[in-house]
Amino acid sequence: MNINRFEITRRGFLKATGATVGALSLSHELLDFKNWASASAEAPITRIPTFCNGCGNRCGIFAFVKNGRLWKIEGNPEANGNLGVICPKGHGYLHDLYNPHRLKGPLKRAGDHFESIPWEQAYKEIAEKINLILMDAGPQSIFWVNYPQSNHMYALRLMHALGSPHYFTHGSTCYTARNAGWVTTVGELPSNDLSNSRYILIVGRNPAGGLDLGEVKKIAEAKEKGAKVVVIDPRHSETAILADEWLPIKPGTDLAFLLGMINVVVKEELYDKEFVKEKTVGFEQLEDEIVNYPPEWAERVCEIPAKTIFRITREIARLKPKVLLHRGYHAAFGSQYLNSFETARALAIANSLLGNINREGGIYFAKSAQLGELQPKHPAPELPKIGKSDGTGIPGRYPLGSYGDGITHAIPEMALRGELKAGFVYHNNPLRTNPNPKRVIAGYKKLDLLVVVDTVLSETASIAHYVLPESFYLERDEAVDTKHSGKKAQVSIQQQAVKPLFDTRPGTQIIIEFGKHLGVGKYFNFDIDEANRLRLKPFGVTLEELKKNGILFVGEKWKEGLGKLETPSGKVEIRSSTLEKLGFPPIPRWEEPLVSPDPKDLHSFRLLHGKQAIHTHAMTANQPVLMAVSQRYDMIRIWMNKKRGEQLGLKDGDWVRIKSIVGEGKIRVRLTEGIHPSCIWLPSGYGIFSKHLKTAYDVGLSYNDFLPTYFDPTVGHAMSSEIVVQVSKDQEVRS
Amino acid sequence: MARYGMVIDETKCVGCHACRVACQNQNNLAEKEAYNHLEEREYGTFPNYNREFLPVQCQHCDNPPCVKVCPTRASHKRKDGVVLVDKDKCIGCKYCIAACPYNVRIIKKEGYIEKCRFCIEFVEKGEKPACMTTCMTGVRMFGDLDDPNSEISQYIIKNKLKQFKAELNTKPRIYYKKA
Repeated sequence: MNINRFEITRRGFLKATGATVGALSLSHELLDFKNWASASAEAPITRIPTFCNGCGNRCGIFAFVKNGRLWKIEGNPEANGNLGVICPKGHGYLHDLYNPHRLKGPLKRAGDHFESIPWEQAYKEIAEKINLILMDAGPQSIFWVNYPQSNHMYALRLMHALGSPHYFTHGSTCYTARNAGWVTTVGELPSNDLSNSRYILIVGRNPAGGLDLGEVKKIAEAKEKGAKVVVIDPRHSETAILADEWLPIKPGTDLAFLLGMINVVVKEELYDKEFVKEKTVGFEQLEDEIVNYPPEWAERVCEIPAKTIFRITREIARLKPKVLLHRGYHAAFGSQYLNSFETARALAIANSLLGNINREGGIYFAKSAQLGELQPKHPAPELPKIGKSDGTGIPGRYPLGSYGDGITHAIPEMALRGELKAGFVYHNNPLRTNPNPKRVIAGYKKLDLLVVVDTVLSETASIAHYVLPESFYLERDEAVDTKHSGKKAQVSIQQQAVKPLFDTRPGTQIIIEFGKHLGVGKYFNFDIDEANRLRLKPFGVTLEELKKNGILFVGEKWKEGLGKLETPSGKVEIRSSTLEKLGFPPIPRWEEPLVSPDPKDLHSFRLLHGKQAIHTHAMTANQPVLMAVSQRYDMIRIWMNKKRGEQLGLKDGDWVRIKSIVGEGKIRVRLTEGIHPSCIWLPSGYGIFSKHLKTAYDVGLSYNDFLPTYFDPTVGHAMSSEIVVQVSKDQEVRS
Repeated sequence: MARYGMVIDETKCVGCHACRVACQNQNNLAEKEAYNHLEEREYGTFPNYNREFLPVQCQHCDNPPCVKVCPTRASHKRKDGVVLVDKDKCIGCKYCIAACPYNVRIIKKEGYIEKCRFCIEFVEKGEKPACMTTCMTGVRMFGDLDDPNSEISQYIIKNKLKQFKAELNTKPRIYYKKA
């Protein structure tokens, strides 16, 4: 293809409606930013539709390439996930393409440092080691940890081809309790129809900080149309800024608030009677149990006044069914508390009583495109016969644990027990993102073989035996995806905008090459283009059309109404037969958090964490563009209630020492009236300890340094807000 | 001809800083060079508390103090309402930085002074400023203040919007919507 055909001048570009595809070659002098900036003023621009990789949302973007260098990105308005807008992480993370500390070729450990190794030699050595481990310890001793990416199908195929069930996502440290709560109640994880809602109640979720751009845009739209927004959060979150009301709740007691609400809905008969009768099972048992939780009781537990619980409940019920309680994510529901699963159950039930399930303006089941299969042309390996030893699946130690996600933070335990011998970690950094790093390091170091695929030397990559450099997201094509489906199903693709700068390869190619070297090449007789064509087959869409647009709508539009659900009864299970069989309470009941700060001890706090809009996990703090925002606005501080701080003799900006049963650290404090007195709040994304990440190294703290290793008994999640810390003024004099 | 102006709805800003970074990319700025700032303000005491972010950038004043003090006429006011700095005329004396009551001018590492340009080169080609198009809550509105029927003019009239530090008689071309 002659690239020049697609080149357009700036002026011409504005008139061009169609997107253009192609990767431009790069002259080395243009790598220098200054040379490029002066040379590029009137240079032709190429606009390539693709995905952002600044976080797991993978927003639809257009990448603008000027003079062979990436210039900027803009949002793709067709993408349901971001509706044309882009966050600071997206704009900032693209600069990692030109990060001087990027991995430039494959590395092999040689004692305490790395040496370069050619790709083929690395594959050969990895294959030899894997073969020995396969013979010695069996296929189940090999695992793969993946970051949310459309290429997970390739990684699963590789693990299954080898005979290992041990494929993991980061789910157990993020969202598994929420998913289990919804699945148990309505059969799947639904979405929020925010833009059409008239009353949006957001409990323990902050889409404006733990960013979901599409959701925030829709909340703003709903507000324009007159919707009321109420945010319940121990901290005045970024979403609370948009809210009509902020109700600070005592951390870990969201379940009590929801039970109080349900009590009012039932007692005052505010529920959707027809919906409850036709579409739910177990309402009678709920009536019997919920009498235990009047708002006066809830007030004593969660510290939101009973009269406020009455008022909020009556307000939302009056506008039903075009109302919703946000489906939740990480905080409160995802993996935070011993009661997170019950909280998610109560959330699903509260929504159901309002009759808003799969209704306009309520909670709805997004349309999703069913991608085609590679088989029969490329037969799939058999599913592994061996169960996962992390305790998910049936019969599992964690009966509602997600087999698909696994329990990623159990890997160190499994390695220390000798159950896991070799691991592949793809764009994931468990040493920084899993609880209690000392234990994580011990576990991962016990492995006979650790292979990390990444773009930088993260903490985890730093201890690997082999590090294979993946091409940056703007340098590679990816597997087709259905990520941006919503009211209408979409297929989408991430594709190359610039040619790889260094000796790197796309993740899909690396997995295919692993397959070939590990003796399971018969399952990998395809390349990414062929696989993408097969997966697009059901939609009558060609790969070329998709690459031209980035995103295409496929299939039917969403319609209101509730058919048979994917639950045992086919209805909304207020009373869960699944839970009853497993010996868990079939109707949600109050459950205390696992640990709580001592109210009599001035130094005792619960440690909460949460995201800032400028950082993702541990992967963006090293980006100078984003770290500059953190520094300029003094955002690397821990939030503490002003009065509690003053009781400790603290002034705003002072250094404090924080100590839990597993770790300690020092950080500066932000004294504010915008947080519940019983907790402190640490922004996540900092505390980088890989010396190779020079911008972020030793800046701030991570909550994982304070979090003991927990597995909740229902789904096995990390319970990452079950941390009590001692906080005191740091006496050390600083210059 | 069109004379440009902007509305900033500070009730919608959640403080994400996307405007800052989008602008940096659009204008090829280094990581610490920013034309967009957010001033965070807190109100009340727990639990009756609120906070807001005030987005601040060059206000493109009709009575611009920066232009008055500039000894080389590098800072200048254009017919379309936009205040720009001619980097070839700028001697880096920083008088404009001292004179600007909005504290939005930066010293580029090359030595000249810069600030928000309303993305005028892009606006002239029919695009919108980068700070506006990236924003998830739609904080900004941009358009022709001289056309009384433009969306932005109508919006300013309907909501009786005021400028930031209007009492200084700088006559800014940015209007703010407050809670």
